[in-house]
Amino acid sequence: MTLTRRTLLASTMLLTAMGPAFAQDVAREDTVIFDLDRTIKDPENFNWFTAGTKREHGAHQAMWEPLFILNYTTGELDPWLATAITPNDDFSEWTMTLREGVEWSDGEAFNADDVVFTVNMVKGNEELSAREAAVVRTQVASVEKIDDLTVKFTLSEPNPRFPTENFGVRIFGSFLPMPEHVWSEVDNPATFAFYPPIGTGPYTYASGATNRMIWDRNDDWWGAKTGFRDLPEPQRLIWLETGGEESRAQLMATNQLDAAQNVSIGTFEAIRFQNPNVIGWFADYPYAWPDPCARQLEINTTVAPWDSAEMRQAVAAIINRNQIVNVAAEGATTASRTMFTEYGAMQPYIDAVIEAGHGVPAQPDVEAAKALIEGQGYTMGSDGFYEKDGEELSVDIHVNSASTEYTRTIDVIVEQLTRAGIKAKAVPVENGVFWGEVLPFGSYEMSYSWLACGSVNEPWTSMSRYTTASVVPVGERSPGFNNTARWDGPEAEAYTAIVDRMGDMAGDDPALPGMVAEAYGHLAEGVPFIPLVQSAKLLPMNTTYWTGWPTAENAYNHPAFWWGHTHQIIHNLEKAE
Amino acid sequence: MTTQNAAGAAKPDLSARQIRRMKRFDNPWRNPKLTWGAALILGIVAMGILGRIFWNMDLVFTGSAPLKLPPLGFENLRGQPGQTDFPLGTDGAGRDLLALIVIGAPNSLFVGLLASIIGMSIGIFLGFSAGFLGGRTDDTIRILSDVMITIPPLLILVVFQAAFGDVSLTLMAILIAAFMWQSPTRLIRAQVLSMRESGYVQMARLSGASTMHIMFREMMPNLVPYLFGSFIANVTTSIVTAVGLEVLGLGPQRIPTLGRIIYEAINSGALIQNLWWWWGLPTILLAVMFIGLLLINLGLDEVSNPRLRKL
Amino acid sequence: MGRIPSSYLGNRIVTLFLTIFIAATLIWIIPRLSPVDPAEIALGRMAAGAGTVGNSEDILAQLRAQLGIDQPWFVQYAKYLWGIVQFDFGLSTANFPTPVSALIANALPWTLGLMLISITITFFIGNLLGALMVWDHSPKLVKVAIPAAMVLTSIPPILSALLLMWIFSAKLRLFPLTGAYGLTVEPGWTWDFVQSVLYHGFLPALSIVVVTFGFWALGMRGLMIGVQGEDYTTLAKAKGLRPRYILYKYMIRNAILPQITAFALKIGMLIAGQVLVERIFAYNGMGKLLYDAILDQDFPVIQGVSFVIILMTAFSVFLVDLIYPLIDPRIRHGR
Repeated sequence: MTLTRRTLLASTMLLTAMGPAFAQDVAREDTVIFDLDRTIKDPENFNWFTAGTKREHGAHQAMWEPLFILNYTTGELDPWLATAITPNDDFSEWTMTLREGVEWSDGEAFNADDVVFTVNMVKGNEELSAREAAVVRTQVASVEKIDDLTVKFTLSEPNPRFPTENFGVRIFGSFLPMPEHVWSEVDNPATFAFYPPIGTGPYTYASGATNRMIWDRNDDWWGAKTGFRDLPEPQRLIWLETGGEESRAQLMATNQLDAAQNVSIGTFEAIRFQNPNVIGWFADYPYAWPDPCARQLEINTTVAPWDSAEMRQAVAAIINRNQIVNVAAEGATTASRTMFTEYGAMQPYIDAVIEAGHGVPAQPDVEAAKALIEGQGYTMGSDGFYEKDGEELSVDIHVNSASTEYTRTIDVIVEQLTRAGIKAKAVPVENGVFWGEVLPFGSYEMSYSWLACGSVNEPWTSMSRYTTASVVPVGERSPGFNNTARWDGPEAEAYTAIVDRMGDMAGDDPALPGMVAEAYGHLAEGVPFIPLVQSAKLLPMNTTYWTGWPTAENAYNHPAFWWGHTHQIIHNLEKAE
Repeated sequence: MTTQNAAGAAKPDLSARQIRRMKRFDNPWRNPKLTWGAALILGIVAMGILGRIFWNMDLVFTGSAPLKLPPLGFENLRGQPGQTDFPLGTDGAGRDLLALIVIGAPNSLFVGLLASIIGMSIGIFLGFSAGFLGGRTDDTIRILSDVMITIPPLLILVVFQAAFGDVSLTLMAILIAAFMWQSPTRLIRAQVLSMRESGYVQMARLSGASTMHIMFREMMPNLVPYLFGSFIANVTTSIVTAVGLEVLGLGPQRIPTLGRIIYEAINSGALIQNLWWWWGLPTILLAVMFIGLLLINLGLDEVSNPRLRKL
Repeated sequence: MGRIPSSYLGNRIVTLFLTIFIAATLIWIIPRLSPVDPAEIALGRMAAGAGTVGNSEDILAQLRAQLGIDQPWFVQYAKYLWGIVQFDFGLSTANFPTPVSALIANALPWTLGLMLISITITFFIGNLLGALMVWDHSPKLVKVAIPAAMVLTSIPPILSALLLMWIFSAKLRLFPLTGAYGLTVEPGWTWDFVQSVLYHGFLPALSIVVVTFGFWALGMRGLMIGVQGEDYTTLAKAKGLRPRYILYKYMIRNAILPQITAFALKIGMLIAGQVLVERIFAYNGMGKLLYDAILDQDFPVIQGVSFVIILMTAFSVFLVDLIYPLIDPRIRHGR
C-alpha cells in the first residue's frame, strides 16, 4: 500500500511539473471553446453530404458560410453569401443574387458557378444523403447561371418557402455551396473526403482529431476586406468533445469551456454555484431556450374510446401543464399556449390563435372534463375509475424510455389522468422501437412526442403535418411521420382545406394569421394531439473570457451553437474586460 | 448470532474455550466468516421484506416526493434540509431513496442468484455427463466450455440488449446464466474424473448401483463444498455483469436495480450537484453484498480446507 | 515449440477457431432475432432528430440495401463470414460511408495502450498484495487490505472514474478533465505528444486500476493458500531458506500460473467494462466507439468492436495455453 501510494504521488508530481504542452500558442483569452457532444469518427473527412460528424465540429459554424441566416426573432432571412432571393408570381422560379467580393480561403472567387455546380452535383448523385442535399434534389427541377452573381432556380412545384427551407439554416444546417474548382475534379462525390477543406468563412482548418477540431482566424478574410463584417475577435475556435453532463459541467465550472451543450437544471445551478460567470438564455427561471420541437401528447384517433373528439377534449381539459413544468422539468421550461414554439417570429400567429380563443387553457378544468366523459355514457365506479358497460376507462401511454424528461412527464400525466378517473398507464419503449415501430404505424393509444415540430417563422410547416392527406390506416407507415394520430373526418377536412390554401401563400402574407386562427379552431375541436410544454435546451454560456452571447435580452438569434447560424454568434463575441 | 455467543462466553475459563474450539472444529459450518457473510446477505433480503411491509412502496414512483432532498441531518445545494418522511433522501426524479433501495437491492441480488442457479444447474448436468460418460460427450462438452469461457459475456449481452431494448429481470438473469455454466462444468468434470477412480465409487459400482445412484448419492455429497463455493463466486460475477449492463443503461428500463440507480445518478450530473446519497447509497449496498459473498466464500474455503482456519 | 506435443497444439488450434466462429455467429444472429427492423429504426432515428422525414420509402429501400438485409439470410451470413475473415465489417451506418475497420483502426491503439497498461499494473499490484496477504512475514496492515480491496472491487468503474475526476481534476486541478492528449497538441512521435498522452492517460488508467486490483488480490490469496500447504514450501522452510526467497521462488512462482490464464481471459471482459470510463474522459478508444455505436444502433460497428475484442481474448488465451507448458515447472518436468 505505502509503496503504491508513494509511486503514485511521485508520478503525479512529475507529471504536473511537466504540464500540458501547446503546439502553437494562442492565449486562452483569445480562444473560444465550444462543446461537442459527438465523437468526430472521421476527422479527415469533410464531406458534409454524407452521414457522420462532419459539420457541427466548427465546419459549418466557422469555415463554410450559408447563403442566408434565418433570424428566429424577426423571422427574416439575414443575407450572408447571398444578398437577395426573389420569386416569380407563382413561386415556381426563384432568382438569387450573390454578394460581390466573396472569396474561398485559397483566393479563388466564390460565384454563381459554385452554386450551380453544387446543386447539379447533388441532383446527379443519390448517394449524397444529407437531409439538405435530399431536399434540394427533390425541390429543384433545374438551376441556371444568369451571370456571375445571379442564379435562377426552377422548382418541380411551386414553393413559397423555398429559400427558408433550403438556404437559411432553418433547423441545424443549410445547403452549403462547395468550391467548384475542387469538387469538379472528383470522380465520386460520395466518397470524396475534401481534406484539407476550404471555405469562405473567417476561420480556416488548423488541426483535427477524433475529440476536437481547431480553427484559426484568417486575417485575410473577404468580409473584412469588403466591409461586410469586421474580423471576429476570437483568434482561435475549438470544438471539444466532452464526456457527458458531468465532465462538461466540470469543464464549465473551471473555465475550460465557453459554451456547453444541454445540461439539466440541477447541474446548471451547481455550475453557477461554482462559477457565477455562467449564464443561460434567460437570466432567471426557466433559464433554458426552447428548441423548435415543443412537446405534445399524441392521441390515436382511430382507437375507441379515443376516437371520440369529446373524449380527447376531456383529456385536454384534465392536463395541468404547470405541474409538468414544476415537477417534470423542475421549472426549466414554460407551458405551451398553442402548438407553436414561442419564438419572436411566431408571435403574430400565436397571438391570433389565442385572441380567437383556441389556445390551450392555462388552468385545467377537471369538472368540464368529467362532464364530457359522463356525456359519453361513463359512470364513476366505486374504485374511482370511470366505467361503461362493465369496462373500465383506461389508456396506455407509450413513451420513449431514452430520456428521463420523457418518462417523468408521462408519469405526471398518468397521475393527473388517474386522479380524474381514467386508469392510465405508462408504457416505456426503447428509443428505436418507439420511433421505428410505435409512432409511424399508429400502434399506440396515446404517446409522448413532438411531431408538430417544424415551424419556426411561419405556421404552415407544422400545421401541414396534420392534414388528411397524410392519413393512412393503422399498421401502415404514416408518410414522413405526419398525422400519426390519423385524424380524419369533417373537422379534419375543414382544417386541411384552410391549411392547403396557406401552403400556396407567401410566408409574410398579411392574411395568414387570420387563416391560422380559423384552422386552429378545427384543430382545437378535433384534438389529434394536446400541446404540453416547450422543449427546454439549457445551454450554459461562460462570460469569463467572452461576452455577447445570445440571450433573451440580446436576441440577435438563438443560442444553438452546433447549428450553421453560429457565424452570427462568433461575430457578436467580445473579449471580456 | 453464534459468533456473539462465542465471543461473550469466551472469557471465563480456558477449558470451556478449548471445548468450544474443539466443537467448532467438529462442526466446520459454524464458522464466523460464514456466519457474518450470511448475515450480511440475509440482512439485504430482510431489508427487502421488512421494507415492503413497513415502508410506503408507492414512493418508488416518479414525482411521489420532492426532488433531490438530502438524507436526514444533511442539507443540499439549495439549502433544503432532510425530511423524516424521506430519511435517506430523494433522487432527481422525486423518488424516495429508501424505497428505491428496498426494491433495488434485492432485485440485484435476485439477478445474481437466479443467473447463478441456472448456470450451476447446467454446469452440474454437463459436468457430470462429461466426467461420467466420457468419450465423445466429454470431448464436445469440454471444447464447448473452453470456447464459451473465452467469450466475454458483457459484449454478447450488449449486442443482445442493443437489439432488443428493454428486458425483464428474469430474462437478464437467464442471459447472464448462459455464461455462468462453464466454470462449474470444468470443476465438476475434473472432480468426477478423479473420484471415478476412488475406492467408494468403485465399490458402489461393483455392488451394482445405477449410474444415477452413483452420481447423486455417492459423488454429489462430496462435491457440495466445491459446488457451493463455485456457486457463490458465480453470484458475484453475475451481479458484476448485471451492474455493468445497468450502468450502461442497458438493463431493465423501469425496474429499480442498484446499477440502474447509479446510471440515473450519473446521467443527471449527481456528482457536481453534490447529491452523494443518490450514487453513494447504492454503491454502499453493492459493497455490502460483495463483502457478504466474499466472507461466505472465504468461510466455505475454510470449511473444505481445515488448514486455512488459522488465518 | 518443439516441447509442445502436436496433439495438444492441434487441440488448442481447433478450440481457437471454434471460439472465433461461434462468437462471430452469435453476434451475427442476435440482432437478427430481434423483431425490430433495423432499417425502420434507422429511419425512426432520422425522424427523431429532424422531426420529419420526406420520401421515407426511398430512404428505407436505400437503408435496406446499405445494411444488406434485402438478401436471403444465408447469403448475408456467408458474406458476413467472408467479410470478417478479411477484417471487413461493412460500413458504419452512423458515419456512412466510413468502413467499420477504419473506425476500429483509429480507436484500437488508444484502448490497447490504456487498457494493457492498466491491466498490467493491476495484475502486478493485485497479485503482490494477494501474495502478501498469505505470507507469514507480511506486516499486519496487509491483512486489512482484504476488505479494502473488496470494497473497491464493488465500485463500478464509471463511478471510480467520476470520483477520481472530481477529486483530481475538478477540485485539485492536477489532471485534465477530458481527452487522450492536450487540446492543441499534434499527434506524432514527439516528446510533447508522448508526455501529453501519459498525463491524460493517468486518471483513466487509475480509475480502472483501483477497482480491479482487488479481483487479482483475492484470486492470488486463494492460490497462495494452496501453495502454502504444498510439500515443497514446507521443505524449503525446513531447509532454512530466507522467507523472501521462499515467497518469490517457491510460492508466487507457482501460485501465479493460473492467474496468467485468468489474465488472458479477463482482457475482453475488462475492455468491455472500460466502456464508460472512456466515455467519461472522452477518451476515444474501443469502449467509446462501442458506446456511441450502442446509442446510434450502429450494428456493423457493434459487431466489429465485439468481434475484435473477442478475437483478442481468444488469441491471448491461445498464446497462454501454448506457453503454459514452458513456464509451469511441474508440466515441464512431467513431460
